[in-house]
Amino acid sequence: MDIWKLLLTGSVTTVLAFVVGMLYMGLRRKITARVQNRVGPPIYQNFLDVMKLWSKKSSINHGFMQHVAPLWMIATSITTLMFIPILNNGSTFFTNLTFEGDLIMLLYLMVVGSLGMALGAGQTGNPNSAIGVTRGLTQMVGFEIPWVMALVALMIQHRTTTVAGLLDVQVQSGTWLMLSSPFAFIAALLAIPGMFRYSPFDIVGAPAELASGPISEFGGKYLGTMMTNGAIFAFVKLTLFVDIFMGGASNLGFLLLKTFALYMFPVLWGLVSPRFRTEQAVRFFWGWPVFFGVLGLIQAAI
Amino acid sequence: MSEVFFRTKDLSTINIMNEQDILNKILDHFGNKVTGNVKREKRVELFATTNTIEDVLLYAKHQLSFIHFTQLSCVDWIEEKQFELVYIIWSPESKVTILIKVRVDRENPVAPNIDYIWRHANTFERELREMYGVQFEGLVGAQDFILEDWIEIPPMRRDFDTAEYAKKTFFDRPGRENARDVRETIRQNSGEEIPEFAKKYSR
Amino acid sequence: MVNDKESQKIVDIIQNFARQSSLFVLAYGTGCGAIEIPPTMTSRYDAERFGIRGAATPRQADVLLITGYLATKSLKRVIRAYEQMQNPKYIIGFGSCTINGGMYWDSYNTINRLDMYIPVDVYINGCMPRPEAVIAGFAKLQKLIQAGKADGWDRYQKNLEFYRGNQKKIIHNWVMPDYNW
Repeated sequence: MDIWKLLLTGSVTTVLAFVVGMLYMGLRRKITARVQNRVGPPIYQNFLDVMKLWSKKSSINHGFMQHVAPLWMIATSITTLMFIPILNNGSTFFTNLTFEGDLIMLLYLMVVGSLGMALGAGQTGNPNSAIGVTRGLTQMVGFEIPWVMALVALMIQHRTTTVAGLLDVQVQSGTWLMLSSPFAFIAALLAIPGMFRYSPFDIVGAPAELASGPISEFGGKYLGTMMTNGAIFAFVKLTLFVDIFMGGASNLGFLLLKTFALYMFPVLWGLVSPRFRTEQAVRFFWGWPVFFGVLGLIQAAI
Repeated sequence: MSEVFFRTKDLSTINIMNEQDILNKILDHFGNKVTGNVKREKRVELFATTNTIEDVLLYAKHQLSFIHFTQLSCVDWIEEKQFELVYIIWSPESKVTILIKVRVDRENPVAPNIDYIWRHANTFERELREMYGVQFEGLVGAQDFILEDWIEIPPMRRDFDTAEYAKKTFFDRPGRENARDVRETIRQNSGEEIPEFAKKYSR
Repeated sequence: MVNDKESQKIVDIIQNFARQSSLFVLAYGTGCGAIEIPPTMTSRYDAERFGIRGAATPRQADVLLITGYLATKSLKRVIRAYEQMQNPKYIIGFGSCTINGGMYWDSYNTINRLDMYIPVDVYINGCMPRPEAVIAGFAKLQKLIQAGKADGWDRYQKNLEFYRGNQKKIIHNWVMPDYNW
């Protein structure tokens, strides 16, 4: 395999993920503002924020782990992105590094970023960071269970552990997995707002009570890296979900359409919801989502 | 519902005392150690000493149902070289406020600590300790209450000149050295006239 | 090429544009003026359309709003918050009290001139300034940033002795950590 072609496609994918993620976040701010009867910032406001953060002249860190944590997170996000096929049309351009068994690896890889954030936030010594990390890991325990149940159900049902394999199943049968495996789809869909940490699951970085939680000591370029990572990782999550449940996309237009439609679910839910407490969030995830996950597993076993 | 949430005492069974009754009871109980008078409706004024103030407060709280400690304040009688502590208590049954006034020496102001009667009296006592320098015997609480690193005499005493202290410590902006109307300075600096409607508010 | 003046100028223009169009305001209300911030941020006046939004901690913030009178006790906290912010950072003095003491000009416990203790970029006059005035102050700050004239953070570094002297004049018990930029 040509290493230069891989590098090229990888960088194009990363830039695409960054731009699309940033625009989605700008759209979210705009939609939030319109719902609150405001004008709202321009859609490209997040680009300006990141540019501003990157042109800060000083950046303080409290030690090695805090210095590394944003890099760790963004490295994890880009690595995860490399293992996800962006399009399903069989072209090698956006397929990147997908291989047999990568769905299992993705399950592990997607939580590594949060681990880096926990380690970095732990070194800052800020009590808000420690509380935020605790809440974040607890919430992760909550939403990971229905999410893993849904994916395991699909893996059992279709005898494949590859995202590309699941894509092939959908392309050949002509139906999306969200229609043929509705219970697993509902379980995974209910786990998505927890992954995005939008309201009502924004207990990790609650600005009013925790002073933005784990990132409270990260400023300047560190914060800019984290915002970049947030954009890329949002694209990663959306694309993975679209690939698995919504049949992927044959071109970029369909990809944007499907990911945007999916992205509106946590955004619009968050707009009308107040914040859960930690135990309420966990109780939510271990309630109906796990129930649907069990139904999905039963359906897969039959 | 109303019986549960708005349960009121039967008015005929409790003995609502008026101001004169309260005053008479206290004066009878303490003899000549406490003097007092009825200032006006719902307002009784008592004069006690540092020795009797605890007994008066305890008697009023436990015998006369003055369960609410409203405030502890202080007046600086600099001409008489005395501080006057004013204990304000109130009864929810008779709706009468009692002001109990205690004079302490201004040079060595010491008063008994009453925060075992009402816990929140501790806050008022700490404030008076900081703002007037009145010492309360056995008062427990952080030395700094509102001020930090205060090295002058207590600032609410009348011999503390706050304007002079501010002039000495902080930086005046030119044109704002005293209390005169700064709009005149603004007019001179900016060249704009004061509008007609605003002139009647001038000092 | 890095030290080339012309190319550096272009970089400055781009950076200043990004800085002026994205202002994170530290949500720290020192005085009564903090009550003017919620209407400025919410739907009536909507400061977010100019890129002004709240930041939760000093590390993430660009702008420190001194909203009203400043007691000597809260001056200590303001200095600490200001020194935790990352360069370049800006201060907006808000209300008459920060300019000349306002109605507390002879109080023993509130400072009179804010710019003797920390460098102020923009003052907003009034007691209290309405949200329109606040937004006008932000617009002035954005113009200064675009022109590269909002250099309060630079003045603070260069005249640190002067500011420290004034600060220690009223904060006798100096127990704060050293400034590390």
